[in-house]
Amino acid sequence: MKHLSEEELILVYYEEPDAPAMAQSHLSECAECRAAAGSLARELGFFDEWNAPAKGEDFGRDAWNRLAPALDSGREVGPGWRPVRIWAAMAGFAILLVAVFLAGRLSRPALPPVIAGLSDQARERILAIAVADHLDRVETLLTEISHDDSNAPDVFAADRERAEDLAQEGQLMKQSLALHGETATTGFLDDVDRFLIEAAHTPDRVGEKEIAELRQRIDSGSLLFKVRIVESNLRNEERKL
Amino acid sequence: MNDGNYGDAAAVERARNGDRDAFRVLVERHASAVFRLAYRMTLNETDAEDMVQETFLRAWSEMRRFDGRASFGTWLHRICANRTVDFLRSRKRWQGPAMPDTDREYDPFRNLASAAPSPEREAQSAQTGAMLEPALAALSEVERAAFTMRHYEGLAIDDVAAALGVQPGAARHSIFRAVRKLRRALEPVGSGLP
Repeated sequence: MKHLSEEELILVYYEEPDAPAMAQSHLSECAECRAAAGSLARELGFFDEWNAPAKGEDFGRDAWNRLAPALDSGREVGPGWRPVRIWAAMAGFAILLVAVFLAGRLSRPALPPVIAGLSDQARERILAIAVADHLDRVETLLTEISHDDSNAPDVFAADRERAEDLAQEGQLMKQSLALHGETATTGFLDDVDRFLIEAAHTPDRVGEKEIAELRQRIDSGSLLFKVRIVESNLRNEERKL
Repeated sequence: MNDGNYGDAAAVERARNGDRDAFRVLVERHASAVFRLAYRMTLNETDAEDMVQETFLRAWSEMRRFDGRASFGTWLHRICANRTVDFLRSRKRWQGPAMPDTDREYDPFRNLASAAPSPEREAQSAQTGAMLEPALAALSEVERAAFTMRHYEGLAIDDVAAALGVQPGAARHSIFRAVRKLRRALEPVGSGLP
């Protein structure tokens, strides 16, 4: 008799439609699997007892009071809240890293002591980290565009905004790489940027056709695969440095 | 607009046309649920509150694109899950793995449900309670997000996949890995479980 695997038991526990059809009848006949299912249920049951901190009845009203000023201005918020446009924040950090690199290249005599103390190797490592992280974010975006099953325009709107942020970030990366003489990586980032700009300029009411075309662009140029390879190479370079 | 007089559908319709008062109704109605989801994913109260704000800011800017195919609550949860996964990825990269709140004394029992009055139950909760939040914190951000949505939010795996922007198979395996890790974390007290 073939017993149910843990994965099959999890599907049964959550009553997922793709749980094996024979699971229930097997459980009624097999004491071993019944015990395993009971053990799984007990252990997961402990997590039922774990809750988020309770919020008072005023939480919704407080949330609105803090949110309301931000609705018009887009990003201004009241005290106690930390507005974060995640992708923009990460881009900002990348820009800072690249600025450190550029500072070393362009204005060495006027560098602050901390930056001036960085060796060329340290700056090269910073650049490798910044570009690899940029490609990591690009990879996430490409993966999401490629694999979102919904084709929902409202979901794609977020992707469009991220593509725009990443395209801007990519411009800085290319400038820094060009200064460093990394023409091959710069050329590759040109390819990535063309896709990002295309994604960023899709219409507000993007339809399934436009999303399918973007996916076709990703697939036809093996863009996702190339991004992973270049990122991996940069990580290796970073480790060597 | 009186909160009690409008269902989500009516409030959403008005908010889609720029009615801030209607949107206020939606924020007040859904903020706690969005917070719970965000907290379970971030394990940090301040971050979760940020995610509440991020979620509703995004929802407001995207209201006209909300097509009503899913319920408004599901749509919000999807926005929240996406924003929070992005946030967790960025935090992991720059600040290390997720940790419980550090701006207050850490109490592993603080988030345990209180409806467990029997002494045996309390003893058991005390034994396992200390392990729950650290066990959840040890999951990867995607595993914790997937587990949270499946276990606490009751979303089907296909819906979890849609929220995370991954294929259903990937979401399923994230849940499998999460459950496996969580069970392993409970092993030290496993023999004491009833």
